[in-house]
Amino acid sequence: MPIEIKHLTHVYMPGTPFETRALDDVSLTIHDGEFVGVIGHTGSGKSTLIAHMNALMRPEVGHVLVGGVDVGEKNQSLIEIRREVGLVFQYPEYQLFEETVEKDVAFGPQNLGLPEEKIAERVRDACAQVGLSEDLLGKSPFELSGGQKRRVAIAGVLAMKPSTLVLDEPVAGLDPAGREELLQLIQGIHQSGTTVVLVSHSMDDVARFCTRLIVMNKGRVAFDAPPREVFRHGSELREMGLDVPECARLCELLREKGMDLPEGIFRVQDCKRAILSALGEGSKC
Amino acid sequence: MGQEIIRVQDVVYHYEGSEAEAVAGVSLQVERGEFVAVLGRNGSGKSTLAKLLNALILPASGEIYIDGLAAHVEENAYEVRKRCGMVFQNPDNQIIATIVEEDCAFGLENLGVEPREIRRRVDEALKAVGMLDFAQSAPHMLSGGQKQRVAIAGVLAMRPKIIVFDESTAMLDPSGRKEVFQTARRLNREEGITIVWITHFMQEAAQADRLLVMHDGKIALEGKPREVFENVETIHEMGLSVPPMAQLATELRQAGLPLPRGILTVEEMAVELCRLK
Amino acid sequence: MLKNITIGQFFPGNSLIHRLDPRTKLLLTLALIASVFLSKGFAGFLLVFLFVLACARSTKIGLKFLVRGLKPILYIVIITFLLNVFFQSDGKILVRWKFITITEGGLQRAAFLAARLILLVTVSQLLTLTTSAISLTDGLESLMRPLKKVRFPAHEIAMMMSIALRFIPTLMEEADKIMKAQMARGADFESGNLFRRAKAMVPLLVPLFVSAFRRADDLAMAMEARCYRGGEGRTRMKQLHFERIDLYAFLAVLLLIAGILVLNAVGVF
Repeated sequence: MPIEIKHLTHVYMPGTPFETRALDDVSLTIHDGEFVGVIGHTGSGKSTLIAHMNALMRPEVGHVLVGGVDVGEKNQSLIEIRREVGLVFQYPEYQLFEETVEKDVAFGPQNLGLPEEKIAERVRDACAQVGLSEDLLGKSPFELSGGQKRRVAIAGVLAMKPSTLVLDEPVAGLDPAGREELLQLIQGIHQSGTTVVLVSHSMDDVARFCTRLIVMNKGRVAFDAPPREVFRHGSELREMGLDVPECARLCELLREKGMDLPEGIFRVQDCKRAILSALGEGSKC
Repeated sequence: MGQEIIRVQDVVYHYEGSEAEAVAGVSLQVERGEFVAVLGRNGSGKSTLAKLLNALILPASGEIYIDGLAAHVEENAYEVRKRCGMVFQNPDNQIIATIVEEDCAFGLENLGVEPREIRRRVDEALKAVGMLDFAQSAPHMLSGGQKQRVAIAGVLAMRPKIIVFDESTAMLDPSGRKEVFQTARRLNREEGITIVWITHFMQEAAQADRLLVMHDGKIALEGKPREVFENVETIHEMGLSVPPMAQLATELRQAGLPLPRGILTVEEMAVELCRLK
Repeated sequence: MLKNITIGQFFPGNSLIHRLDPRTKLLLTLALIASVFLSKGFAGFLLVFLFVLACARSTKIGLKFLVRGLKPILYIVIITFLLNVFFQSDGKILVRWKFITITEGGLQRAAFLAARLILLVTVSQLLTLTTSAISLTDGLESLMRPLKKVRFPAHEIAMMMSIALRFIPTLMEEADKIMKAQMARGADFESGNLFRRAKAMVPLLVPLFVSAFRRADDLAMAMEARCYRGGEGRTRMKQLHFERIDLYAFLAVLLLIAGILVLNAVGVF
């Protein structure tokens, strides 16, 4: 189900000295099956944007349509929208509360009023999707390691069977191996047919996995394009306080010095290949 | 330089109710004025090491000396903490007072410093971390990076010789991370404070004078960052990553390019590539 | 909804009231509360109200915040008012409809009690808005110091209060976050009967408690790392001094109380 956002504007605490325009006339559409990265530094409006995607915030100015249904409409069942668009918050492990992993993951489906067998099935599926083994189901979520807790929390959202999964900084606080593992997992979730929106500070992470990148700056969409095109705007991105992947910067630097390298490279492997082939063809700086 | 300020000798520590040793025989020395980074996965024992340096926990065996004082003896804990300050991970959970300057004064008040002197040192410390303008602010109105700088000021006011940063940037956004890291760098350079910087961000570790990599409670690698990051495979096996340029350099070398060892930054890489015939 | 509780929310400033010694403010708040109870009628309330209004003006805090702080007790005020309207009967009957009778005396009494409640909260808000939690606890500690002789843990209590106040906004924010996260999993905090609503709070309260314990752990360690050993041998950056303005403040409140007593004596209610 596509999420259409039309001319969305949101102002926090209007009329006070604290007035901030978090979103300023934002229009975009998340299509089925996409893997979209949303990037921007703190205060760029990305959190406000995703809160609108599953009706935790309702549009005051502009429209948000989930599968063609207007979220802002009165009497609109919110639980329907929240089932379609699953939202995983930053540090989601802090929301765990049940005695066992199984019960915690079941919380969402229970709220949907599903029958027992259906719930059990969904819990098993969701746990398998995030790579939690069955013997953990009976354990208390508070006994697990940090990375496992986070996966339980993500399973809790997946158990709602959302058609779109929105994750806010899912790898925050994890070490490199933990990050990699979780990002791979998210990629797997995408490949199994779920639309994924990944919010992140890290250019490197989003660039590697996403097919489309939305760069937020001061409440507006600064760029909305495939990663390789976005990274062409290196200096603009830096002005927004965002880091360009090091490989993209290297290629930029080498191009300036005269080496013949294609634009839009940001992975180490691609960078290596491009440099080797440029040198092989005698292009030097 | 050349004077030892931290000495850790064969230290072992295990948490209650756990068989495994969180720190399994670590020995290390840090020199006065050094900026040492400790890199390691979650659960590698690096945070335990930090707490040992501050005498917040005592080793099961082995010896620790902080500025010549035995930190493995309970009686010395108070004196050790005066010499070796600590900044923790969660910015929200280490600010005690409801106003920035009063939080900054907390440590000095505990030491029984005379009020006028507290005032002077608090202002000085807040100025050193660039938070003087926020002296009267409420902590919960600050950004993560600002909160951590307040925490640094609180430690700095106590005039420690060493500050241990225990993953103090792990919960911050990139700009907050930079803010806090640069503050630590400046204190190291300008005030000569010895810094032990614990992290799992290799970008930060790469900028230290010396780098220790911890794995399974032991020190697995040690040396200058550019030397340590040469061990691309070992580091990957430990669940850590190396700076992209170090990785690229290794791979280009394997493909036959005669690149020198120790490339860490984009600029260095560009210079070396341009030097190739 | 969670953000509009102003208790424990200090507004930094540099007004006369801000600069008063916290002990003065504590004692005078007690005195003002006493004066509210002393008043036998609306005339006394008016005096106290004008006094509080003048104080609030001088702090530049803005009435909006004072009014906002009343929200949490709105229901209590309304219930108090209604109970008294319906169950106090005295004087002329104004309305009689089925079993409901409203009398003039009852109405007056109800308005009196509601006004008293509002005044009491406003007075204490004036204290909490102009006094930081730390100086408040400093003041308390200092006022309670004589009790140390009878082994009363004055410092510990003061420290506990100050930490509690420091963490109120943090925990509020956290509660808000957890609530949103559970709502994203289809939790419903707003509908259903009382029992269902109470049950719906479990997914909010359990994580909140877990997190509060974790924070307490972290905080204890951070305090220890900064050489905290209890109240013994501690000094304070901000020493409490009674100044001339404190004297004036005492005089002003004294005058107010005298005024109320005069009103009472003369019989102007």
